[in-house]
Amino acid sequence: MASKGSFTGIFSPSYCPKCYHQLSRVPRRSIQTTAKRTAIAAPPIDLDSLPPIDPSKGRIVPASPSYFTARPDSTDHFLQLQTLLRRHQTLPTISAAQAPRVAWRTLVQYRLLIGEPVRAAKYHRILEILQRLNRIHPNAVPKDLKETLEVFKRDVDPFAVIRPPAIIDEDGKTYGVGRRKESSAKVYLVQGEGNVLINGKSLNAAFGRIHDRESALWALKATSRLDKYNVWALVKGGGTTGQAEAITLGAAKALMAFEPALKPALRRAGCVSRDPRRVERKKPGKAKARKMPAWVKRSATTGDEAHKLMKQSRDKVPKAAAKRRKDGLVPAWVGTNHLTGTGVRSIDVLAALMD
Amino acid sequence: MIVRKALIRHGRRLAHSPRQWTRSLATETDLHDLQDTTEAIDSSLSNATLQTKSIESQAEKSGVQYVPQIDARTQMSQQLLGDGTKYVYDRHRRQQKLQNPLGTTVDKGYQPHRLLTDPPRPSDITLELLLASQAHLGHKTSHWNPANSRYIFGIRQGIHIISLDVTAAHLRRACRVVSSVAERGGLILFVGTRPGQDRCVVTAATMAGGCHLFDRWTPGSITNGDQILRSCRKQVVDEFDREVPEQGAALKDASALKPDLVVCMNPIENWVMLHECGMHGVPTIGIIDTDANPTWVTYPIPANDDSLRCVQVIAGALGRAGQEGQANRREAALAGEVTYRPNRPKRIADRMNASPRAVEAATGLANTGDSGMGPAADGVANRSRNSEVDKNLGYHRAELAS
Repeated sequence: MASKGSFTGIFSPSYCPKCYHQLSRVPRRSIQTTAKRTAIAAPPIDLDSLPPIDPSKGRIVPASPSYFTARPDSTDHFLQLQTLLRRHQTLPTISAAQAPRVAWRTLVQYRLLIGEPVRAAKYHRILEILQRLNRIHPNAVPKDLKETLEVFKRDVDPFAVIRPPAIIDEDGKTYGVGRRKESSAKVYLVQGEGNVLINGKSLNAAFGRIHDRESALWALKATSRLDKYNVWALVKGGGTTGQAEAITLGAAKALMAFEPALKPALRRAGCVSRDPRRVERKKPGKAKARKMPAWVKRSATTGDEAHKLMKQSRDKVPKAAAKRRKDGLVPAWVGTNHLTGTGVRSIDVLAALMD
Repeated sequence: MIVRKALIRHGRRLAHSPRQWTRSLATETDLHDLQDTTEAIDSSLSNATLQTKSIESQAEKSGVQYVPQIDARTQMSQQLLGDGTKYVYDRHRRQQKLQNPLGTTVDKGYQPHRLLTDPPRPSDITLELLLASQAHLGHKTSHWNPANSRYIFGIRQGIHIISLDVTAAHLRRACRVVSSVAERGGLILFVGTRPGQDRCVVTAATMAGGCHLFDRWTPGSITNGDQILRSCRKQVVDEFDREVPEQGAALKDASALKPDLVVCMNPIENWVMLHECGMHGVPTIGIIDTDANPTWVTYPIPANDDSLRCVQVIAGALGRAGQEGQANRREAALAGEVTYRPNRPKRIADRMNASPRAVEAATGLANTGDSGMGPAADGVANRSRNSEVDKNLGYHRAELAS
C-alpha cells in the first residue's frame, strides 16, 4: 500500500493522504498526451501525390513576386494590407477618436524588422492603411486581421502604462509632485481653511514677488478652492519662478485626487501639463544659446592686429624664463599657448594686448 | 503591482514567444517526485496571500482611500464593446443574404471591378470589347509618331483613331508570346507605373506566375542587377514549383535574375527600362499609343494607354494567357515532362557535370528513373521506405495522367 505522503497524482487519490480512509474508486487518468503509434501497416495510397523533389530539375525563381521592386518585403506587406482592407472594407467602423491607441513601429524599427532601406513615404502608405484597419469596430475585427496587425505594433506598448491611483490617507491628506525648470515641489493638501506653509515659511516669506505668490496658489485660486484646503509644500532647486510654478503643478495634482471632476477646469487654467521648457544650451561660436558676439571691424582675436600683437609678445618673453627653458629645467610644453604655437605664456599675450 | 504592470506592458511579447503556455499541460511529469516542490510552492503562495491580506486589512482599517483616475478613453472603449453594432451588422448581412435572391434579376452590364476580379481571356478579345474600353482613341494629330502610321485608321475631331483590327491581332499575338514563355518556365515581369495601374498589374502578374512593378523602375535593375537586387531572395523550385530546400547556400553564388519577358503598360515613362531590356536581349511587349515609338518594344500593341479600362483589358488578357501557359506547364510536369532547361545554381551544376553519382551521394537523392542514370547509388539505401513509395506513386500518377 502507499506509504504516508506518497500522493499518486491529483487525478487518482484512491486513499485520503491524511487519514488513510479509502476513497471511492476513481478511474486513473493518464496525463500523457503524446500519442504512440503502434500500427505497423503502411499508410493508404494517395494517388494525387507528386514524385519526390528532384534537384536536377530545379530552376531559380524569385522568392517574391515583388523581386524587381528591389524592396520585396515591404512591397509584399503593402499589398497584403491592401488586400486585407479591400476584404474588410464593409465592416462597421468607429471614429478615429474612439479607436484604440496603438503605437505602430517607427520607420527605423520597421527598417530593422525587415532589413530593407524602406523610404519614409512608402512606410507612410502602409501606416495609413493600418490606421484605417484599426478603426474597424472592436467587436467586428476578424481574427486574421488581428494577427496581421500585431506584426506592425511595437514590441513594448507604451500606452499600457497605467498610473497608480492617487491615495488619500487616514489623516485625509494627499500629495502631488510638481516640477518646473530646475525646481521640484512635493505639495501636501488637506481640507482646511486656507493655511499655506512653504518649506516651513508663510507664503509671503517664501516668495517676495506678488506674481510668484499668485502663481503658487493658482490651481486653488482658478477653481475657487483657496479657503477649502490647507497647503503644506516642500520645494527645492531652481529659482523663485520655477519653485512657484512647481507648487502650482503639485497642488493641482493633489487637488485632482480630492475632486477628479475639476480636471477640465484645471486644464483650462493651465495647471495639468508639465511645462517641458528648460534652459537652452550654449552653443560654440555664440555668446549664449543664440546671442552672437558683437561685431568689431578689426577684431583683436582674429585680424592682422592680433598677429602683430602676438609677434610683439613673442619678443617679450622674460629672459629668466627663456633661460630656464633653455637649460632644460622646464619642459618645453609648459605654458605653451596654442594661439602662438611657441613657448609663450598666454598671460604674456594678454599683457601685450592690454598695452 | 509592479509585476502586473510589467505583464501588461510586455504581455504581447510573452504571448508570441515560441513556447506556448499549453506546453506545460503536455509534459509527462511524475508527480511523486514533484511532491515536495509543490508543497513548498503551495505554502509560500498561501503565506504571500496571507501577508497581502493582512496589509490590505491594515490599510482598510486606517481609512486609506484610493482615487482612480478618470480615463475617458477607457470608458469609451468599454461602451463600444456593448453598443450592439456587431449585432446590427450581422443582422443586416443575414437580411441581405435572404433578400438578395428575391425579386427581379437585373442584367449585369459593365461593372468596372469585373475587369480586375475576372479579367477577359484571350478568346474574349473582340473589337466590341476593345471599342467599349476606348482602345481606339489616340492622341492629338500633332503629337503623333509617324512610325505608327500603319496602326492608324484615320483622324476624327483632331485626334488619331487606332485601327482596332490591328490592335486585336497584335494583342492576340502578344497573348501567344506570354503563354509560350510561361509554358517554358520563363520569368515574366509586368510593369505599369502610372497611378491606378497597380492593381491590374499585380493581378496579371499573380495569374501569370510572374513579377510585378507598379512604383518605379530602379534604373540598373537589369544592367547592374547584382548590386541593386543583391538583397532580394531567390529560390530553387522543381517542375511542380516546390522549393528545393538543400540549395539555399548554393544560391548565394547565383547572379541576380533577369526577366525573360517584360510587359510594359506605359512605355513612354519607362524608356530607361526598355533600353536596359534592349541591351540585355530581353524581349518586351508594350502598349503603343500614337505618340510612342513602336521600335522601343519587341511586340507592340497599338492601343490607348491613357484609358485605365483599356489597360485593364489588355493586362487582364495577357495575365490570363500567362495563366494558361502555367497550367500547360504543370500538366506536362504531371506527365513527367520538363518544359524548360533546368537552371541550377553553379555549384550544383559543376558537380553534376563532374560525376552524376557524386551528386546523388551529395544531395542524398537517387535518379528518378526517367533520366536513365544507371543503377541506384549508395544514397538510396539511406532513404526511407515512405519516399520509395512516393516515388513509385509519382510514376503511377504520371501513367494515369497520360
